[in-house]
Amino acid sequence: MKRFVAPVAIGVGAVLALSACGGAATTPSGESAEDGTLVIWNWGNSDDAAAAYQDEVLAVFAEQHPDVEVEIVSQPFDQYYTLLGSAIEAGTGPDLALFNGGTQLKSRTDQLTPVTDELADIHDQLAGWPAFEDGGETYSAPMFLQGFPIYYNKAIFAEAGLDPENPPTTWDELADACDTIASETDVSCFALGNKEGLGIEFFLSGFGSGIFTPEEYDAWIDGERDWESEHATQVLQLWADTAEDGWYNDGANSTAMFNDSFDLFSGGQAAMVIGLSSGIAHWKQFDDFLGDDLGFMMPVTVNDGTTLALPIEGGIGYGVLNEDKLDLGVDWIKATVDRDALANYSIAGGQIVSDTTIELDTDIQSAQDIVAELPGSKPLLHTSLGGDTLDLLHRVGQQLLIGEITVEDAASQLAASEG
Amino acid sequence: MRAERISRWVIAIPMALLAIATIYPMVYAVNIALKDRREYVLDRLGVTTTFNIQNFVDAWTQANMGRYYLNSIIVTVASVAIILLLASMAGYAIAHLTFRGNRVMFLVILGTMMIPFQVIMVPFIKLMSDIGTINTYAGLIIAYVSQFLPFTVFFMASFYSGIPKEITEAARVDGNNLWGVWGRIMLPLGKPALLSMGILNALFCWNDILIALLVMQSPDQRTVMVGVSALRGQYPDNVPTYLAGVLLVVLPLVVVYLIFQRQITAGVTAGATKG
Repeated sequence: MKRFVAPVAIGVGAVLALSACGGAATTPSGESAEDGTLVIWNWGNSDDAAAAYQDEVLAVFAEQHPDVEVEIVSQPFDQYYTLLGSAIEAGTGPDLALFNGGTQLKSRTDQLTPVTDELADIHDQLAGWPAFEDGGETYSAPMFLQGFPIYYNKAIFAEAGLDPENPPTTWDELADACDTIASETDVSCFALGNKEGLGIEFFLSGFGSGIFTPEEYDAWIDGERDWESEHATQVLQLWADTAEDGWYNDGANSTAMFNDSFDLFSGGQAAMVIGLSSGIAHWKQFDDFLGDDLGFMMPVTVNDGTTLALPIEGGIGYGVLNEDKLDLGVDWIKATVDRDALANYSIAGGQIVSDTTIELDTDIQSAQDIVAELPGSKPLLHTSLGGDTLDLLHRVGQQLLIGEITVEDAASQLAASEG
Repeated sequence: MRAERISRWVIAIPMALLAIATIYPMVYAVNIALKDRREYVLDRLGVTTTFNIQNFVDAWTQANMGRYYLNSIIVTVASVAIILLLASMAGYAIAHLTFRGNRVMFLVILGTMMIPFQVIMVPFIKLMSDIGTINTYAGLIIAYVSQFLPFTVFFMASFYSGIPKEITEAARVDGNNLWGVWGRIMLPLGKPALLSMGILNALFCWNDILIALLVMQSPDQRTVMVGVSALRGQYPDNVPTYLAGVLLVVLPLVVVYLIFQRQITAGVTAGATKG
């Protein structure tokens, strides 16, 4: 009998012993309360410029805390918040974590340590704070400004016989332009690749200032929302109508977070796209493909009495989860908004940074146009929604695209979700 | 003759379409993985002209695959070895031995298969943290064994119940104790099922992301599948590099499958019938 059991037992024992040794060599990130370590979660660097920026931030932090070991853990984004929530609940969460401003941060403020007083000295230097504030407290500092500017391809406009230097300014002009593009070119009017549900949040925030009056807009941001109001249902109706009118390219009704539409726009397969101002799908990335043909346009006027505004706010920032590491956490947050680090990343990575003292040194016209609109900008409409309502908005957005529900159904579901 | 030829085509055409549908994603992934980002954006479906091998180099280095491969191999081999050892013993006991609570134990094992990991993940990770196994190979191995053992026990019990009890009884008469019967009779007879379960469990362990993410939170301790999934970031804008990483990760599985495909095919149905 020993002939059979012994080798297997020895083998398994050896592997387990090796396993235990190998694992024990590393400091568990769950024990981050240990002195001298700061465990930080984020979702990785999208490119070399982002990696270089992170290195600069690490260097700034290391100057202040040479003996503190910073352990940065990059988690896959699509499971990031689930994983973070589970880890926090289980007591194995990090000391700091990266958050999207708005919905994602505000729905977790009960787990975050406020840093209002600690960041007061840099408050005037940065823009985009509201996305990181809740209940009168500040929970992080915005590194970049994230917004939904509308980009267009001047070459396609010219091919369709439209004036590339004068993009549409009203909804009727936009609708006419889309009709012309459809009839005169082979490309779609707006890029919307795989319909992963995010499209409607881009539509809501991208066109919102031309649909809602300034009073309605501000009330929406303050949480006084009526999804069954005339203008809120108009957003849903326009979304459904534009799909029915063939403004968008074909694509699967996928739930994967896939930025197909940005590649379609870069590849000249669509005349316009609601893109981003930082991170990805921004002026620099589009400029790499379109060069001087890249144009930026403001939202169009849909209703009288509206005031057009660039939708933009604080994009991402680190929040302190471990109160015992508050001082280190605050210094890390301040390192992420170090002026030199942000200035370098602004150019290399194509970011609209939060530091208002940094001048964007680029000859890319669309970037300059976006910066010029910052003073009159407004926060994004969708990031003021709660997590459940935002998820529901994504779902009804998909259903509206394929005609599975009516605008009234969508509006009543959304209204119900907000109680 | 003609009717036979027609019927062959009737079968062959759908099978060919099915084969194409199965192979196409892999061919698509290989084609994209060989494109640079510009070519991917400008001509996604066309055959690559850039043959950008650099994507594979970038994926290998960015996802720290050298280290993560080693982690995955250690964890997968150890987990599968333990699962097979325990499942073979438990399967034999449940199928052939009469003892108090036999039936209840089998039902409990069946019951544990019905609970999704997501339901228990918070208390599970808390327990792992309390016993100090977060960020250790042992922790992830324990996690995999606990997750994948029940199905393997169920499968082995089903397989062993197809072996006539007369065989094990004859072995006992010949002087073997329980361990001897298990080692000399059941283990060799169970080889097809064990091989099949070995492959399936290796796939489960190798492909897992969620459990590995929870248990291995330190960057150095990650498995290769987690490393590749972290290549994506919030917006997966460099799809060619990402797909190159995916191909590098699935390569060992494809090789293993090609080597053992006959045994896998035979093993999948091994426990389906009794006797």
